[in-house]
Amino acid sequence: MTVLSVPFAGALRRPVRNRYVAGLLTWRGVSGLALVGLVALAGLLAPVLSGADPNAQGPEALAGPSGAHPLGTDDLGRDLLSRVLHGIGTDLTIILTAVPAGAVAGAALALLAGTSRAADLVVQRLFDLVLSFPGLILGLAVTAVLGPGRWPVVIVIALAEVPYFGRQLRAGVLVQREREYALAARVGGAGRARVLLRHVLPNAVDPLVVQGAVALSVGVFIEGALSFLGLGVRPPEPTLGSLISGAVAYLDTAPLLAAAPLGVTAALVLGFTLIAESLNRGVRG
Amino acid sequence: MRSFLLKRLPSGLVVLLAASFAVFLMLRLIPGDPATTLAGPDASPAAIAAIRARLGLDEPLAAQYLHWLGQVLTGDLGPSYAIGGQVSGLIGDGIAATAQLTLAALLLVVVLAVPVALLGASAGRRPWAGALRALTTGALAVPPFVTGVLLVGVFAVSLRLLPAGGYASLGDAPDLAVQYLALPALCLALPSAAILARYLQDGLERALAEDYVRTATALGVSRRRILWRHALPNALPSAVTVLGLQVGQLVAGAVVVERIFAWPGLGQLVEQGVQRRDYPVVQDLLLLVVAGYVTVQLLTDLAYSWLDPRVRAL
Amino acid sequence: MGAQIDFTPALLFAQSANVLVQRLVFNTLTRYDDQLRPQPELASSWEVAPDGLSVRLKLREDVTFHSGRRFTADDVVFAVKNLQNPVRSAQLRSTALTVTDFRRNGDFDLTLVLAHPVSNLFDLFEFMIIADPASVEDAVAGTRLIGTGPFTFTDRKPGSSLSFARNEKYWNPGRPYLDGVEIKVIPQAETLLSSLKTGQTHLSYAVRGKDVATLRSDRRFRITQYDTGSGAFYIGANLAYPEVQDRRVRQAIAWAIDRDRLVEQALGGYATVSAVPWPKSSPAYREQDAAHYRHDPAKARELLKEAGVGQLSLPLAHSAEAGSAAVAQVLQYDLKQVGIDVQLQPVDSPTMQKQLIAQSMPALWTLSHGFAQLHPATLAVSAYPFNEAKNTSRFSSPAYTDVVQRAWNRADSDSPAAKALYQQVTDVLLEEQFIIDLAIAGLVEVAGERARGATLNKFGYLNLDDAYLAG
Repeated sequence: MTVLSVPFAGALRRPVRNRYVAGLLTWRGVSGLALVGLVALAGLLAPVLSGADPNAQGPEALAGPSGAHPLGTDDLGRDLLSRVLHGIGTDLTIILTAVPAGAVAGAALALLAGTSRAADLVVQRLFDLVLSFPGLILGLAVTAVLGPGRWPVVIVIALAEVPYFGRQLRAGVLVQREREYALAARVGGAGRARVLLRHVLPNAVDPLVVQGAVALSVGVFIEGALSFLGLGVRPPEPTLGSLISGAVAYLDTAPLLAAAPLGVTAALVLGFTLIAESLNRGVRG
Repeated sequence: MRSFLLKRLPSGLVVLLAASFAVFLMLRLIPGDPATTLAGPDASPAAIAAIRARLGLDEPLAAQYLHWLGQVLTGDLGPSYAIGGQVSGLIGDGIAATAQLTLAALLLVVVLAVPVALLGASAGRRPWAGALRALTTGALAVPPFVTGVLLVGVFAVSLRLLPAGGYASLGDAPDLAVQYLALPALCLALPSAAILARYLQDGLERALAEDYVRTATALGVSRRRILWRHALPNALPSAVTVLGLQVGQLVAGAVVVERIFAWPGLGQLVEQGVQRRDYPVVQDLLLLVVAGYVTVQLLTDLAYSWLDPRVRAL
Repeated sequence: MGAQIDFTPALLFAQSANVLVQRLVFNTLTRYDDQLRPQPELASSWEVAPDGLSVRLKLREDVTFHSGRRFTADDVVFAVKNLQNPVRSAQLRSTALTVTDFRRNGDFDLTLVLAHPVSNLFDLFEFMIIADPASVEDAVAGTRLIGTGPFTFTDRKPGSSLSFARNEKYWNPGRPYLDGVEIKVIPQAETLLSSLKTGQTHLSYAVRGKDVATLRSDRRFRITQYDTGSGAFYIGANLAYPEVQDRRVRQAIAWAIDRDRLVEQALGGYATVSAVPWPKSSPAYREQDAAHYRHDPAKARELLKEAGVGQLSLPLAHSAEAGSAAVAQVLQYDLKQVGIDVQLQPVDSPTMQKQLIAQSMPALWTLSHGFAQLHPATLAVSAYPFNEAKNTSRFSSPAYTDVVQRAWNRADSDSPAAKALYQQVTDVLLEEQFIIDLAIAGLVEVAGERARGATLNKFGYLNLDDAYLAG
C-alpha cells in the first residue's frame, strides 16, 4: 500500500474554480481525467459492452480469446471481459463511498478539534491511535471482527484515510484562524462555530481536494491488498483486486488473466495520481 | 525542555492505554476462540474446557485484561498459545526480520530514487525525461503483490539468480541473507522509490527555475555544477521529510511483501496470530507497534521544539 | 520440504493441518500396507485374542529414544494414556479409551485389555506416535521433541522453518539416507510453487490441485497421488434450519452439483468424483455407491418440487482461502441453476472450527473431512461431521447409531458380516445426505526431479526412512 502525502503550501485565497481548472487543464490533468474517465465509462457501460453475465460459469475454463469471450475465460469458465468491466464498477463504488466517508469523518473531527482545546487534544490522540496501526494491520483487525465483505473493505479504506484528511484540515484551520479576516469576523461578533464553518473551512479546504484524489488511488490499492490476503469483497462478485490475485497462479499459463485487470488498475491509479499532482500544482499556483 | 517532555509524555501514555484497551477488546470481538483452535477439529467439549482453564480464558474479561497489563508492565510476556515458544522471543525474531527488510528497502529507496531524480531533472525537456517519468509513474501504479510475483517469476524461476522466498538472518549467514533479502526489499522499495523520485525531481526542477540559477547559467556555470551545488541542497530537505513519511509506509507494505516471500516478520506474525487466535502474540505485538509510533512522534516533537523555541511555548 | 501451514506443537498428538513432523521424529507401533494390512514398526508382532477383548504386543528390543534411553513397554502404556487425555484432543481418543488395562509381561511384551472389541484398533496403532514420556510437555510447547524416529529435531523458527538432523542410532539399519530435513513454511501458494520450480524445495504435499495442474506438463516434477482419502470435499447441512430438514431438499442438492466440473475446474483434476466418503482402498467402497448421485438438475428440481419448495435462499459457509472459495463458487452456481440461491460466507478457519464444534454452522457449509481412509467405523466414531453421537449437522437417528455401534464393536474388520454393516452405514449416509459428499482428494505429492523414496502413512505422516536425493 502506498500513501502519498502531499505537503501543502498554504496560499492566499484566489478564485477557487480557476485554480482547480487551471491545474486540471495541464497535460497531467487532462491525461489523468482522460484515464479515469475512460475506465469509469467502461465500468458504467459494462452491461452494454459485454453481454455475458460476469458470474455465469461454463465448461470452458482458462480458454483463450474467442468470439464468445473476447478476453477468454477464467478458471471457472467465466467471461473475463465481463468480469473486468463489472469489477471496475465494484471498485469505483467502494472507493467513491469510502473516500468521501473518510473525508467527511476526518473533516468533522478536525472541526470539532477547532472548537476547544480539550477537544483538540482528544481528536489528536484519536488520529494518533489510528495512524499508529499500519494500514493493512488495521485491515486484518477490522475484517477479522466483521468477516470479509464489501462493507468491511469500505470501512478499512475510510478509516485509514480519516487521520490524513483530519490532520490536513486541522493544520489548515490553525493557519486560517489566525488570519485577519477570521479575527475580524470574531471581533465583529460572529460565534466561534460560525467563524469556523463560514470563514475558516472554505479557506482550508484546498489540501483536502488534493488529498481526496490521492486517497482514491490508495483505495484501489487497499482493495487489491485485502483481496490478495483473502479479506476482500465476497466471491463471486468481481473486483479488480480479486481478479488480479486470482490470476496470479496462472501468470505462466494464462497471462491475459492477470494482464487485463492489472492494466485497468494501473490506468485507474495512474489517472488519480496525475489528477492529484495537477490539482496540487494548480492550488500551489 | 523538561517541561515540554512533561507535557507530552502523559498524552503518549494515554494513547498507549487506549490502544491496549482497543487491541484487547478487538481480539475478543473476533469470532472463534483460542481454545477451539488449539483443540483441533475433532475435540470434545471436555478437551476445550481443559484448554480454556489452562489458558486462563475462563476468567472474567476484566481480570484477563488486568492480568495482561500486569504482564506487560513486568516485562514477562509469557508463552504464546498456538504458535509455540515465548512471546518475547517470537516478537524479537519478528522485529529482527522486519527491520532487516525495511532497512534494506529504505536503502534501496534512496539508491534508486536519487539518481533517477537527478537524471530526470538534468534531462530538462529532452524526450527521455518523459520516459523516466513514465517509469516512476508505472512503479506507482502496479500493486506490490503483482510486482512481487513478477520479480519472483523473472529473477528466481526464469533466471535462477535469486531464491524465490525464505529467510536467513544477517547475523548467522550474511551472504545468504543478502540473497534472500534482495527481491523482497526491491519489491517493497519500488513504490516508495517512485514517490521519492517524483518529489525530488519536482523540487530540483523548481530550484532550477529560480532566478539565481538563470543568472548562474548566464554566467557560464555548468548545468551539472548548478544541479549538484545549488539545486540539490535546496530540494533535499523536503525530500527527506517525504522519505521519513515513507518509513511508515514501508512497515505497512511489509505485510503483503512478507506473505509473498515467506519472510517471517511482524506482518506474518500478526497474520498468524490473528488466524490462530493467539491472543498474547497479537496483543503484545500491536501494543509494541503503537509504542514505537508514539515514541517516534515524541522524538519528532522534541526535535522540532529544540529547533523552534516557539513550539515549546505551546 | 515445503509446507503451507506452520506446525502447531499443541496439536502434536492430534490430526492437524501439518502432520509432516510426526513420522520424522517419532515412530508408530504398526503401519498399514496398501491393503490396510498392518505391518511391523515398533511392534514386531501382535496377537488379537479370539474374543477381541485384548491384544498382545511384542516390541522391538533394539530401539532407543533420541535422549539415549531405551524404548520399553512402559512407553507404549504412556502413549495410550496420553491419547486418553482430553487435552491432547486426539481424534482416536474414543478408541484409546476402550483400553482399560495394561498387563506387562516383560520389558518388551505388553497386553492391552479392551472394554469391548473394536474394529479400528490398528488405526490407533497407525495413529499413535510414541514419544518420550518425560519430554511430552516440552513437545506440546514446541521446545523439545524426543522420539525414536529417523530424524532428531534440532531447531524451529516459528512461522518460518523446522530443522531435523539424521538420527545416527536409528533402529532401521542404514536408514535414513538423508543427512537432514528442513521443513519450510510458505504460506503463499504461488511462492510455494516458485520455490519448487527453483529447486529450493524438493518435496511438498501442500500444493493446491489447481496449481498442480499447471505443473503437470513440467518434466522437472514427479507428481504422485496418494489414495489416503484424507480430504473429501463435502457440503454439510445443518438440520437445525427448517429449510434443509426435508431430506429431499438435501438429496436435491446432491443431484444439483456437477461434480465432474467441480473436480476439473476447482480442484485441478486432482480428486475423484464420489457421493460417498470412502476412497477406493476402503473396505466400504463400492463403485455404484460412489456414482449414486450424478449431475441431474432436472431430478433436483423435481425433488424440490415434491418437497414443496419453490425458491430457496440459503447461506453457505466456506473457508476464506482461495481454493475453498473456488469450490464454493462452483457450488453456488450449480445450486442457482436448480433454483437455490446461495449466499457465500467466507470465514477463517478458527471461526469455522468453532462453529463446527459448537454445531452453529449456517444452513449449508462446505469443507473437507478426513478419516474415511481407515476402517470405516473410525469415520463414524471419530470424525466430527459423521459422529453418530454428536455431529455438526445435528443429525441423529437410532438406525444410524445402531449400525455404527455394531460396525465399531467388533474384532474383525474385513469379514463379509463387517462389510454388510459398512454397506448399511453407506446406505444411511446416501439416503439422509446430512453430509453430501462431492469428491475425494488424496494427498498430492509434488517432488522435484531429485527427490526419491518419500512415502506417507494413512494419516499422511511423512516417512523419509528410504528417501534420498538422486544425482
